[in-house]
Amino acid sequence: MGDPHPDPHPSPHPKLHATDLTRTFGRTPHTIDALGPLDLTVAAGEFVCVVGPSGCGKSTLLRITAGLLRPSTGTLAIRTTSPRPAAMIFQDYGIYDWKSVRANVRFGLDVQRVPRREANARADAWLARLGLADFADAYPATLSGGMRQRVAIARALAVEPELLLMDEPFAALDAQLRTILQDELLELTQALRTTTLFITHSLEEALVLGDRVLVMSARPGRIIAEHRPPFPRPRTGDVRTAPEFTALKSELWDLLRKEAAPA
Amino acid sequence: MTTIAHDKDQEATLIRRPGPAELHPTRTHRRRRAVEVALAAAVPLLLVLVWQLAATQAWIDARVYPAPSTILSDGWDRAAAGDLWPDVWATLRRVLTGYALGTAAGYALGLLMGSLPLVRAALEPTLDALYVVPKLALLPIFLNMFGLGEGPQTALVATTVFFFVWISTMSAVIAIPSGHRDAGRVFGASPWQMFRHVLLPASLPSVLVGARIAAGVAVLVIVASEQIAATNGLGHLIFDSRALFRNDVMFVGIVCVAVLGVVFSELVRLLGRLLTPWAPRDRGRGQS
Repeated sequence: MGDPHPDPHPSPHPKLHATDLTRTFGRTPHTIDALGPLDLTVAAGEFVCVVGPSGCGKSTLLRITAGLLRPSTGTLAIRTTSPRPAAMIFQDYGIYDWKSVRANVRFGLDVQRVPRREANARADAWLARLGLADFADAYPATLSGGMRQRVAIARALAVEPELLLMDEPFAALDAQLRTILQDELLELTQALRTTTLFITHSLEEALVLGDRVLVMSARPGRIIAEHRPPFPRPRTGDVRTAPEFTALKSELWDLLRKEAAPA
Repeated sequence: MTTIAHDKDQEATLIRRPGPAELHPTRTHRRRRAVEVALAAAVPLLLVLVWQLAATQAWIDARVYPAPSTILSDGWDRAAAGDLWPDVWATLRRVLTGYALGTAAGYALGLLMGSLPLVRAALEPTLDALYVVPKLALLPIFLNMFGLGEGPQTALVATTVFFFVWISTMSAVIAIPSGHRDAGRVFGASPWQMFRHVLLPASLPSVLVGARIAAGVAVLVIVASEQIAATNGLGHLIFDSRALFRNDVMFVGIVCVAVLGVVFSELVRLLGRLLTPWAPRDRGRGQS
């Protein structure tokens, strides 16, 4: 608590460790180098935000971590005993229209064959925590965008993952709602201290949420800068108004602009 | 609702206020429903009345086009005497058996081909080629295969239904957004769990549209094939009556086929609605 740098020095036992990671799409001669080479170390309990221009391979990195995609070269190691340590929150299409809100949140538990009674209890606890208790029996189609993303967050957290992967989860929401959900996520993750890899376009989002903010280059994505927002934990959304916040944001934006629009 | 009011100075003021639909939403909705139902019943009723009038006024030859009242009373007599039911039952049995077989096979293969690209590569060209063959042209083959009993009729319905359900299932499974599958994969869903939680419900709404179209076409095909090669059934009744110049009985058969087709496809629609409570209702139909 109160330490802005949970792990300023490379830990001997990082939660996640990527070495020379690359990914190429397509076949010769029409190959596209999407990612890397990239080296990345994430400590246990750390919240790492990755920002970068569109198409820089941020999502590719996340999908490799989730096990949805294999790297072309290099390795990515996750320290865990579970075969499925990760839960992922998608920008869209993550939650199922055909399942009620409770059944959606229960989905990960159903897959793990958690008994129905216990699974319902756990799902309901997460629904209550995210303010969705009244909507447990509703179908997602009847919910607003913000509610749907709360359902996705509850579903991911319900399996108590060791690694939380978030792929621009708030990108489809309007600005006010995004701020509100950022604050809610901040509160949740500071209580849970789940290791998190968070992909975003928004520098503000990255600075509010992250212990560490990584800036990626244009395709093929490499990490070109690393910043530790100097705001002590537990922090709140109020850091947005701090003078250092604005300064750091414009510093990162200068970096990012060169990548987003190559001269 | 917008109104324009003129005060004494003849200056117009624009006033927007709620209309009846906003003030009495329940009543408005009920009335709207009543009008829709009334219209749906009135149009066919009007057509029948015009036909009746044309027959009684001898604008049309009542021997070729019997009056609706004649058809009705004749149908009633035949139903009461029990002459009608063996044909209705024979057709119904063929349609239901063939439909069940065709739907099951079409769904299974559609699912397999939609989710496994290798199976799709292996079977799609062959099935595409068979798809374009008019199914009635296969009847002689089925007659050779199954003889003169129920076999060929049922097989023909099954084949017809199979292609509709197969195509709609396959395209529905292919069209499932990859995000839906990814979410299941990250949680570690097994193939069976993937099917039960993701592929089945995601594809069901479009599969049911295919199944509903197939229900109508199944009736269409069975009537045609009964005319060619059957000794009972509604299709046989229709053609047999015409040959005997019993045009009133012929129309009784046609009406039975129409009722059978409508009831069958509405049942499939109802079943679909029960199975997919999350899906939006059919467009152009009142909510009920």
